[in-house]
Amino acid sequence: MKVKLIFLWLLVGIPLLWGVFKTLQNALKLFQ
Amino acid sequence: MKPSFLDRQNTVAPPGFDRFLVPPAALAVHLSIGQVYAFSTFNLPLTKLIGLKASAPGDWSLAEVGWTFSIAIGILGLSAAVFGRWVERVGPRKSMFTAAVCFFGGFMVASLGIHLHQLWLLYLGYGVLGGCGLGIGYISPVSTLIKWFPDRPGMATGMAIMGFGGGALIAAPLSLLLMEHFKTAHSNGVLETFVTMGVIYFMYMMIGVYTVRVPAPDWKPSGWVPSVQPKPLVTSSNVALEVAWRTPQFWLLWVVLCMNVTAGIGVLSQASPMIQEIFNGKVSPSAAAGFVGLISLFNMGGRFFWAGASDYIGRRNTYMVFFLLGILLYSTVPTLGHLGSVPLFVAAFCIILSMYGGGFATIPAYLKDVFGTLHVGAIHGRLLTAWAVAGVLGPVLVNYIRQYQIEGGVPKAQAYSVTMYIMCVLLLIGFLCNFAMRAVDEKFHHRAPSTGNGQPASVKP
Repeated sequence: MKVKLIFLWLLVGIPLLWGVFKTLQNALKLFQ
Repeated sequence: MKPSFLDRQNTVAPPGFDRFLVPPAALAVHLSIGQVYAFSTFNLPLTKLIGLKASAPGDWSLAEVGWTFSIAIGILGLSAAVFGRWVERVGPRKSMFTAAVCFFGGFMVASLGIHLHQLWLLYLGYGVLGGCGLGIGYISPVSTLIKWFPDRPGMATGMAIMGFGGGALIAAPLSLLLMEHFKTAHSNGVLETFVTMGVIYFMYMMIGVYTVRVPAPDWKPSGWVPSVQPKPLVTSSNVALEVAWRTPQFWLLWVVLCMNVTAGIGVLSQASPMIQEIFNGKVSPSAAAGFVGLISLFNMGGRFFWAGASDYIGRRNTYMVFFLLGILLYSTVPTLGHLGSVPLFVAAFCIILSMYGGGFATIPAYLKDVFGTLHVGAIHGRLLTAWAVAGVLGPVLVNYIRQYQIEGGVPKAQAYSVTMYIMCVLLLIGFLCNFAMRAVDEKFHHRAPSTGNGQPASVKP
């Protein structure tokens, strides 16, 4: 159950973190 | 007849099931349907399907393509209101599956529309069919999460609804990557991107379909004892859908949501030109795009932060903060513009947009407090009609008042000041409605007895 839990959270967490990273990359232009 | 895999009976969790498996299941659906907020990445490519590099005669106009998003959001609100009761009856798995099929079907029909260059197929596919997927998908995990987390309903629903905000952060760069990958001498890659995204999102939503479970009727978190101390506005009873929407509380909350969303969505829709016009010459178009990304991030983060905080400070107080802080910030924005302070201006809008997202995420738990858990998903669906109204009202207010001001000779940099003060008035109306909220009269309560986790012993939605 624990492995499934970690796997599922990674499955939703990784794309979300990628999206946040890409957004922050763009947002930096605002302060350059 | 033997119940199918999708039926509610087959989704009741076995003993020992970890309830923290349910939020990622909900997130899988919300992160997918949240793609709609990034639909604008397709706007320009859809106007160059024939000309490829530039719009050619016969290509769709930007205004024509723009309607696709508006139809999708309008149908979202409508389908959430119409199918809410069905979602409650059939349970989260069947409704999530239906949402996945509709969303996938929407992409496929829209792809056919792109292939045949038929605009009505784009509207019917992404707008109507996809919009149904959005509405059903949006409400499908909400009541399930509330039942799994009776101790932290705000945090649980906030987590899922955060996914709807986060979906755009994934979809925007993903769409650009896919279009670049599929671009050839004869195609700008939109058709192939639509098909690919439809398939990817269908598979991703199926993770939610397979994982989601409903708690057994007598289930409650281990060690959790429902509070016996009565809290203002929080009921341990239930109010049925047919009764709930006839109570003044429903309509007060409708106005509360509508005002909060109107104030945020108007800015969100005009964020890029607004910051460029207010800080004329100081903010480039690419920096303005960064501003849009940043406020989207706060829109997403606010959903989790504010809904989670509402578990501690109460829903009513959370909305009080939204309205009072919102009025304060909106009234200072014109001054920040005159001062030319970009960082303070950006900070103010980041907080405002966090409260916009927070409003969406806190409302399911507010409804649960006021009406109980029996039909909370369906009541939430009905309340989302406020979103559809705000979706029209907000951008119209910002656009038309700006236009009126400019035509009246006001410089572009100051054309938004009046809008900001009007937003303050809207927030004041929301504040007064929230202030007027009282517990639902006992005569409206559902008769069936309630179990430990707030579920009625015999749920007949």
